[in-house]
Amino acid sequence: MTRNTRILMSVIYWAFIVYLFVPLALMVTMGFKDSKFIGFPIRSWTLEWYATVIQDTQVLSVFGYSMTIAIASTVLSLIIGTWVAVFLGPNQFRGKAIIFALACLPAVIPGIISAIALRIFARLIDIEPGMFAIILGHTVHNVPFVALVVMARLSTQPKSHIEAARDLGADSIVAFFRVTLPYLKPALIGAGIFCMLLSFDDFVRAFFLGGYQPTLPVLIFAKLRSGMSPEINAISTIVLIMTAILGLWAERSMRRLNKGS
Amino acid sequence: MAQAETQRADLQEPSTPAGRMTFWGALMRNGVYQAVSTTLFKSQRRQFWILASLPLFWIFFANLGPIVEMFWIGFLDSYPPKVGYEPQFTLANWAAFFQDRVFIIPFFRTLAFSFIFTAITLLITYPVAYFLAKHVSRKNQLLFLLLLLIPFWVGEIVRTYAIMILLGNNGAVNLALKSLGLIERPIPFMYTGFSLGVGIIYLTALYMLLPLYSALEKLPDNYLEAAADLGAGAWTRFRRITLPLSKEGIASGCTLVFLISTGYYATPVLLGGPRSTVFAETIAGFFHVAGDQWPMGAAFSSIMLIATLGVTGLFLKLMGRDGKGMMR
Repeated sequence: MTRNTRILMSVIYWAFIVYLFVPLALMVTMGFKDSKFIGFPIRSWTLEWYATVIQDTQVLSVFGYSMTIAIASTVLSLIIGTWVAVFLGPNQFRGKAIIFALACLPAVIPGIISAIALRIFARLIDIEPGMFAIILGHTVHNVPFVALVVMARLSTQPKSHIEAARDLGADSIVAFFRVTLPYLKPALIGAGIFCMLLSFDDFVRAFFLGGYQPTLPVLIFAKLRSGMSPEINAISTIVLIMTAILGLWAERSMRRLNKGS
Repeated sequence: MAQAETQRADLQEPSTPAGRMTFWGALMRNGVYQAVSTTLFKSQRRQFWILASLPLFWIFFANLGPIVEMFWIGFLDSYPPKVGYEPQFTLANWAAFFQDRVFIIPFFRTLAFSFIFTAITLLITYPVAYFLAKHVSRKNQLLFLLLLLIPFWVGEIVRTYAIMILLGNNGAVNLALKSLGLIERPIPFMYTGFSLGVGIIYLTALYMLLPLYSALEKLPDNYLEAAADLGAGAWTRFRRITLPLSKEGIASGCTLVFLISTGYYATPVLLGGPRSTVFAETIAGFFHVAGDQWPMGAAFSSIMLIATLGVTGLFLKLMGRDGKGMMR
């Protein structure tokens, strides 16, 4: 590789980073602008919009609502996803490839179609649009991600772990809870945080499966349709910071997968 | 390994005479538990089916169920069910698609847009992934990768909003161009195919980047060195070695980005304009705006699902055979 191409590539990399960060940086900056008008230039600065947002009871309740949905669907996704992984990982049986493909299906279907199919399905099994429908929708979407991460981790577990436990008198259930589950822990933490982010940030499923109470992305969307305002910037900035912290935590936990025992 | 040893010690605890009973030890000595456990795991076959029960139920109920139901509703003349009316089987919903330009144009526009956005994303992220995999030292790779990951954790709506601020008439791009003296009036970037493209690429680039990165990372350096020793120029090495060996990454990246970008609803609503209406907006209309025309919406969703999965299936087949489909 010549020197020039190398320099060119590093320029492209940094240009790409600028493309990723500049819009977000602008959005954060606008949240501190002392005017209702979104746009340049900025003449004076204020924290007023953050004060407004923090005192807004609607925003707070929507935040709690989104959080509840995220936590509930994460717990469900972890249980079902791990179970799917433990079933599909080590077992060999006829038709496994088809079952595996079907298990991954919700992760590859375009978002709008998945949301609409789930909306129709919720009607069929008589679930009203609202919290429970959204939790179901997010769980369907998240299970494949959990299953894939857990399967990857499971494939690195030495067979001798389980055999030793069995020799010492543990049955399958005890061996799973005492040996396999602790081994899976970093994968489960990583996948769990990832699920929370997916659920918390999801718009399309929450939009179609939700009732009158909006989730946070749906609320921001509704506010945006009636025009930009610095309050939206303040809410978005808070979401951005939380997301980044959670994401870094997930990344840290997943990194350990490569090192661990 | 140390972890395994402590676990082994724990398992022995109940058998030591002075040992305290652990929860697990007590559980395993409990007669009821023993009885249940031995019945459950009497045979390998039974154990297999117990393990399979929830996953199989979930896969057929929650993954396949909604899709099958969606197809089925597409053939009914009325849904949700009304009191005292039995829905009839009909093909009218499917036929409607082919009869009106209002439906067909957004459909093909969506496929064309997604195709173009996927191609641009590949062109942008390939050098980035190559740089990351081959030119950044091991020590810095994590840091450089994290820089890419952070913006991608942020959700669709927030990032779409960020693009709105960037490209607005008083946005940063117009301000920069104006202060450089390149333009006098702001360029109307927003509500066009261009703003939609900037937004969608912003949202999906990582799904291209990560598969490319992991494919390129596995590419052995000595292949390239050997080719260079044999006199291959930079372009030849790229075309004959790097590209074929990163084929898998290209295939999965393109598949993901294509499928995901056809599925956005909020981003086209916020960033696109009347001339860039996508099929997702058409479909959503049957559920929200035009009242309840669920069967029509279901049929249209099914058409879109078949089309997108068909296109990606074809693409994967082309890539899978020999990769030449990609290089021509």
